[in-house]
Parts: sequence; structure tokens; C-alpha cells
Amino acid sequence: MHRDPLALRSFRVLTGAILIVWLVLPLVPLAIWSFARGWRFPDLLPREWSLKAWTYALSDTSGVLGSLGLTIFISVGATALSILVGVPAGRALGLYKFRGKQVVELMILAPVIVPGIAVALGIHSVFISLGLTNTVAGVMLVHLVPTLPYMVLVMAGIFANYDPAFEQQARSLGASPLQTLWHVTLPAILPGIIVGGLFAFLVSWSQYILTLLIGGGRVVTLPLLLFNFASSGRNDITGAIGMIYILPGILILLLTAKHLSGQNGAVGGFGKP
Amino acid sequence: MKLTRRNLLSTVMTLALFSPPAFADTADGDALNKMTWDQVVEMAKGGTVNWFMWGGADNINKYVSETVGGVLMDQYGITLNRVGLTDTVEAVNIVLGEKESGVMDAGSVDMIWINGENFRTMKQGGLAYCGYTDLLPNNALINWDNPAIANDFGVPVDGCEVPWSKAQFAFGHDSARTPNPPKSIGELIDWVKANPGQFTYPAAPDFNGAVFVRHVFYYAAGGADKLLGDFDQARFDEVAAKTWAILNEMEPYLWREGQTYPNSITQLNELFANGEVALNFNYEPSQFGVAVAAGTYPETTRTYGLSGGTIGNTNYTIIPFNSPNKAAALVLQNVLLSGEMQYAKADPAVWGASPAIEISRTSPQVQAQFAAIVLPPSVVSAEELGKNALPELQGGWISAIEQGWIAHVAQK
Repeated sequence: MHRDPLALRSFRVLTGAILIVWLVLPLVPLAIWSFARGWRFPDLLPREWSLKAWTYALSDTSGVLGSLGLTIFISVGATALSILVGVPAGRALGLYKFRGKQVVELMILAPVIVPGIAVALGIHSVFISLGLTNTVAGVMLVHLVPTLPYMVLVMAGIFANYDPAFEQQARSLGASPLQTLWHVTLPAILPGIIVGGLFAFLVSWSQYILTLLIGGGRVVTLPLLLFNFASSGRNDITGAIGMIYILPGILILLLTAKHLSGQNGAVGGFGKP
Repeated sequence: MKLTRRNLLSTVMTLALFSPPAFADTADGDALNKMTWDQVVEMAKGGTVNWFMWGGADNINKYVSETVGGVLMDQYGITLNRVGLTDTVEAVNIVLGEKESGVMDAGSVDMIWINGENFRTMKQGGLAYCGYTDLLPNNALINWDNPAIANDFGVPVDGCEVPWSKAQFAFGHDSARTPNPPKSIGELIDWVKANPGQFTYPAAPDFNGAVFVRHVFYYAAGGADKLLGDFDQARFDEVAAKTWAILNEMEPYLWREGQTYPNSITQLNELFANGEVALNFNYEPSQFGVAVAAGTYPETTRTYGLSGGTIGNTNYTIIPFNSPNKAAALVLQNVLLSGEMQYAKADPAVWGASPAIEISRTSPQVQAQFAAIVLPPSVVSAEELGKNALPELQGGWISAIEQGWIAHVAQK
């Protein structure tokens, strides 16, 4: 690593640049579409420009701005709950061996493997009997089904490389359990919480069918509005709502970028079998 | 938008308050059916109605939320909550799930924009509120003697839904590029062979693609008359063999040599917009006007019907059996059927949807308004199309044709 720092640095800059281009490039046509009044092959750029798509996207009728705050609230809440549940679960799976561990791992991964629509109707019936349908709380809770696998998987990877002896040392030096958690455990697993939380946020952010079923049309998040137009081929309005839709994701990505270097072992699977 | 904490909180609070309490009285359809209209309106006042409908067109969304929602609020104090769907079946599934879970009078859905297979599911599954049509004052504007109104894709309506708009399939072309498009299925078959790569159709089960295949099926059958009524396997086998032969013979001359088909009408629309294919079609001819106005299609786009007729249908609004806001939903249906609202919807600058009511039964002012409508040059008029209209078939035929196409044309 120390032998050729210049070559290494330019390699890093190059891969970084490619990564950014690869992420940003698909968004450019989306942005152009949102200002286009028609854009036909083989024109390189639209011949006419228009603000109509943005006027609609920002209008009361579209409901986009009203749902932006609600969508952020639900996704932040679902992320917080995922962390609360996912950290202890990940600790158990990453640190300990126990009977039936593989079954538990499979069950946790199941929502990622089984297509959502197959279980959506069953979940709907469960949520009705719990009285959680048509509420924001119900939608937030149901988002845990697809977010938890990511959170638990990441945390299990972190805990697999974690030495609980540090906690015992802190305790023997007189730290309270809370102090131990705050000063020893949390700093060690923070990169995992950030990566897992990012996954959880983005997965919650993109839910459609679960939100529609459990929210019953009363809880209208951005994907509900966006997918209407994406599936009907209205590229201009899809572009405008899409630009609003991706903002929080990009913002969070930028804020957490330094934790996503891939050097923190956060992407390590379940660890010890 | 400034996202303050208060702002966020108020959004959440509004949504929490949105869930309506289950008033046994406005949920009880049988009791409502025995009331007078004035009593229904009195009960509906100040309520909310949750209308689930396909939400992929900004002009339709604006008409519903602003025009219809405005009238409901101003005249009845009713709040209209339009819930956008990407597919109507999503709303049907919510009602179905609620019924299976025993939610009998506190459902989430108060009204659905619906027709065809989804209506059949609702009616056969006992998911629809029925028997109220005589209650609506504007029911007088509906011609229930017209079989195209009284049957929804061959299924008798039986007072379980009310019509909202009519639609009829039309073909579209760019008159600057293709001045003489084929005007019948027979001509189309020859035209495709003479113009390789210029035509394709979306693969079933895409709605519009399946309707195109049904036109070929009618052509192979020598007319729609023999296909009406219940599904008939022997007749189907005979006509289907001819249909698949025609379509398979056509296949190598399609876009990309027929090796693949567009998977949705959206993709065909893009191929047409990009000039990759010369012909397009849609069940809603007004969509061509919308696309020209949005700049998606060239100004020289024109639409037309076929000399042998094109398939038409009616679309409806339905109230689920477990809607807790049936009184408000009835008021909404009555507003939608009024001459004024049907005219507003027929205005091509707003939407351009054909009325489902008899214009001759409306007031002289409304009749004059309808007479004054000028369609954009890209949209063929409903009267012109209506001269040669073909009926839709019952669900049994439609699903057999779709599955047959997949097995004998797509996978061949």
C-alpha cells in the first residue's frame, strides 16, 4: 500500500469518478425529460421546453409536496425501528451459536427471497385484525418486513468481527452497562448501523404495494404518486416527481459517504456459521 | 417546501383524522336504498369519499380532484380523496382482503373506477353494493336499454355500478409519414407484409394489445355476432386456429421481425412517438390528443376507426359492499352523471372522454355545450367511431383468446 501511493491514489480517483458518472448518468435524461415538451428519437435534446410537468408535480392535485414530509417521517421511523430490532438480532446471529440458527437466518432473509405480492394479502389480513390498516403507524410497521433483512444481515456481519471482551474490560473497570454501550459497543458498531440504516431507509422509501394495501389510500407516500406516472409512460411527470423523489436518498448518501468506503467490514454476511 | 416540525406533525394528524369512523347508517346499503334522495344527501353532507382510480394521467387527476372535488365541496361539503392506482385490481384486492377478514361495514374503499374483469370479480364475489341506481336523480339520463350500457364486457350490470364514460378503440398514424393507413383488419394484414418492421402490438395480457388480437379474432370469425354470449369451446377452437394462423403469418413482418413484442401499450406508444413504427392504437382515442398536446406525438397525428368497426366499451364507477361512506359515494356518482360534469369531461381541453349519458336527455344549455365541442384534429369523434362499433366479449372468451395467443403465437 505504501509502495506506490500515486498510482493508488489515481486509481481511487478514477474508480470514484466512474462510480459517480455511473450513478448520475441515468438521472440526466430524467432531469431533461421533466422540462421537455416531447422528446423524440433521434433528437439529442428536446425541441421544446416546458414547465408543465413541474407545475403539476408541485400542485395540490398531485399531492407530491404534502406526501414528501409524510414519506420522510415514515421512512425515518421505519429505519429507527429497524435499528432497534436489527442490532440485537444481528448481535445474536453474529456472536452466538445456537440450535436452529440457520432456520432463523433463513426466516429473516425470507422477505427478500419471497416476492412481496405473494405475502402482501396475508399481511393485509393480519393488519386488519390488529386494527393497524389505514394508519401511518401500520404503514411504518409493515415496512419493517422488507427492511429488517438488510439491517440484520449487516449487523450480523459487524458482530461477527466484534470482540465482546472489550465490553467485559469496560465493565471490570467500573463502567455501567449504559456507559459500556455508549462508549464501547456503539462506536464499534456505528459503521454497521449507518450502512444498515441506509439500506433500511432506501428500502422503506421505495415501498409501493405494502403501503397501498396497509395505508388503504389514507397514507399516500411518494412512490404511490410516482409509480402511477412511471407505469403510464408519462416521462415528463415521472421525471419531475422522480427528481423530488431521489433528493433524500442522495442527501443521505452524501452525508454517510465516508462510512461507505467498504473498509469497515459492514458487508460481511452472517459471519460465524 | 419548508419542512418544519409543525408542518410534518399536521400532515400526520390530518392523516390520522382521515380514517373515518364507521357510521353504521352511511354504511348500511339496504337502509339507504329505502330512503329518499334528499335524506341520502342530508346524510352525505360533511362526509368524505375515498375514490380509488387509475392515476396515470394528470388531466384526469386534475378533472377529478379539482373540478369534481370542487363541486362536491362547494355544494355538499363532501371531501373527495382521490387515491391513485397503477392498476385497478389493487383496489379490488383491498376489498377482497377486507371481506375475507370480516370487515363488513368499515372498508377503506368507497368507490372504484372499474369495468370488465374487475367488475366481474366484484359482482361474483359479492363485493359490490347493488340496487341503488333508481335512487340517483341523474339515473334518468342513463339509457339502460342500450345493451352496451346494461352489460359490462358481457356481464349484466344489474344495478351494481353506474356508467361514467364510453371508450372505443381507434388506430393512430402520422399523416405526414403514412398518408394511407390500412382501414380494416384485412387491409392491415396486407399492409404489414408490404411494410415490414412498421407495425407491432403489445403482448397479451396488455389490455390494448389483447384488444387488438380480439379485432383479428372477430375478423377470423367473420363478425362478432357468433361470439356473443357464453364461452363456446368448439366455436373458439375453430376461430382461434384461423386467428393464430393469421398472426403467425404476420409475425416475421412485424417490428424486429416479430422476435419480440412490446410488453405494454406504454412501450408501443414510445415506439410510435420515436417513429420506429408507423401505426399505434388505443382504447381511448383522446389519449392521442393528450399526447399531441404534450408534444409526445407529432402535430400531424390522426386517428380513425376501421370499416369493419372497432371494439367499444363502457367504464363505470362501483361502490364496494363495505364502504362506510355510501351516502357520500352516491352523491359523488350523481354529480359525475350530471350533464355539466359529463360535458366538462368531454371537453378535449380537459380530458375528451365520451359521455355515458344520453345527451338528448340533458338540459338545452348542456346540449348546446356538447354541440359546440371542437375536437383536436388528432382525435376522431365518438360519433364517427360509433357508426361501426363492435361489442366486447364475455370474460371467458377474453381470457381464452389471451392464453391462446400466448401459447400459439408468442411461444411458438
